[in-house]
Amino acid sequence: MTSLVITVTETLRYRGAIGQWSWVLHRLSGLGVVLFLVLHVVDTSWAVFWPELYEEAIATYQSPLFTIGEFGLVAAVVYHAFNGLRIVFFDYNPHLWRHQQRAAQIVLLVTLVVLAPVFLLMFGHVLDFYNSAPQVLPLTEVLRAQLVFLPGFIAAIVAALILSGLHGLISGGDSATGVVDPQGSRSERFWWSFMRVSSLLILPLVFGHLAVMHVLQGVFDITAQGHDVVGTGGVINESGTAVEFVANRWNLLVGGVAVWRVYDFALLALVVAHGFNGLRYVLTDYTSHSPFLRRASVYLCMLGALTLLVLGVGALLGTIDETAIEMGVEAMERLHAGS
Amino acid sequence: MDISFRIRRYNPEAGRTKPYWQEFELNDVEPSHRVLELLHRVKWEQDGTLAFRRSCSSGICGSDAMRINGRNALACKLLARDVGPKIQVEPILGLRVIKDLIVDMEPFLAHYRQVLPWFVNDGPLPADGRERLQAQEDKDLITDSTNCILCAACTTSCPSFWANGEYVGPAAIVQAHRFLFDTRDTGDDARLDALGAPDGVWRCRTIFNCTPACPRGIEVTRAIGEVKLAVRKGATAGIIDPATIKQQH
Repeated sequence: MTSLVITVTETLRYRGAIGQWSWVLHRLSGLGVVLFLVLHVVDTSWAVFWPELYEEAIATYQSPLFTIGEFGLVAAVVYHAFNGLRIVFFDYNPHLWRHQQRAAQIVLLVTLVVLAPVFLLMFGHVLDFYNSAPQVLPLTEVLRAQLVFLPGFIAAIVAALILSGLHGLISGGDSATGVVDPQGSRSERFWWSFMRVSSLLILPLVFGHLAVMHVLQGVFDITAQGHDVVGTGGVINESGTAVEFVANRWNLLVGGVAVWRVYDFALLALVVAHGFNGLRYVLTDYTSHSPFLRRASVYLCMLGALTLLVLGVGALLGTIDETAIEMGVEAMERLHAGS
Repeated sequence: MDISFRIRRYNPEAGRTKPYWQEFELNDVEPSHRVLELLHRVKWEQDGTLAFRRSCSSGICGSDAMRINGRNALACKLLARDVGPKIQVEPILGLRVIKDLIVDMEPFLAHYRQVLPWFVNDGPLPADGRERLQAQEDKDLITDSTNCILCAACTTSCPSFWANGEYVGPAAIVQAHRFLFDTRDTGDDARLDALGAPDGVWRCRTIFNCTPACPRGIEVTRAIGEVKLAVRKGATAGIIDPATIKQQH
């Protein structure tokens, strides 16, 4: 904890160049995206496992709090992507380091240039929605819906601490590195390369995902009754439920292949691995003084990644049938009656 | 010129258990005076208890690295006119402060030893039994990293090191670079193993604070990048393109 406090205060005090601030933004944007990733993957899996809850989750996404968060999320993803490209470039071309300051400035500039039209389009969807006199969940309801995550987070942290404790008992003492693999070297080398290679694969996938879900249409159009479902070539969302929206996308077959399921699987697997390994980097950076906490950090990231993969892959392999859509309709009616 | 000096003090012997700031005013300072000379004037004229390290006073021994106006530098290389009329001096960060501007360098030196910073070659000596000669092109690969004076300005400018004292740090990696890319040296395997450890070279997040902190102008982040690529490859051959080396001779 003290090392985190010192790093924060001294990063504010040390007059490093722009690279230091790029690093701060890279960490903060990465942490923000991972946090939303957890909510989002768990929420989306409910489209298969718990349709009522999925309707409620999408209703919370269509509230002012999440609308503000959505702009932050898109900004974070765009900055993290471009700054990541800069880091990858200089990691593989260290002799060009003299251009890094200029590159960091260009990253900021390109982020702003990309975000300007994106935000305008997103803002258009926001205006359309809030001008249509929608039924919006009150803030207390939105926050209450997020409360279900709290026990999950606490359980994961407690489980990680217990696993770390057991690990310490079995291994008969504290390993200095806190990395589960005692040798560590090979796995660290793998993860360093993975972070860089995966980022290049994630980039087109995540930009495509953001374009489809946040820019071409808004989060509000997920529940637009009688509208084309984006990316399906004209399939209509008859019931106007989020559950049917997901079903229409995931059931779209192109040449016999459920293309959106494949797409979402690739995005899920890469982003979960990249995001949780990034989280592991951050957590282990600040827990070097305590092998116990450092191991717990590693376990926490493994548990988080595993949970999201199980839920996400489970949902992607699942089916959304008529019953699920009916449950969605009922949930929606209840939500609207309540608000 | 007149200078107002703000110095971070810490003196547990005098009963002050917490660090504190102390201010000094200096008159008739020549713009060409170095910060180290100003520290001497404070110590000799105003407060003899002020403690700091210095030896050669010429930017060679590397003992007076400190954080001056927010950035790491050698006090003996920075001129008053380049710092301005207000100077703030504090110890380098990430190492335990012993007294005032003096920090415990042992953890830093332990990381230095970790990368086996000595020449390894058990092969037979050259026919004349004297030195192992090297072609100029081969020497060029390591000329920059041989300039390191172990002042710790780079390592203590690194947010990864502030957070995690186990991280081997920029200076040790530069020293490793000097031997890894020495074409006569045969100790690469052990060195690459040490650097590939979880708190080795991978803790570098390419933040670039270390490069401008180096009083010797070493391309520190570049050296770290080249060592990363060498650890990834498991070998040093072909990592550095000789055409990209700045000429120093």
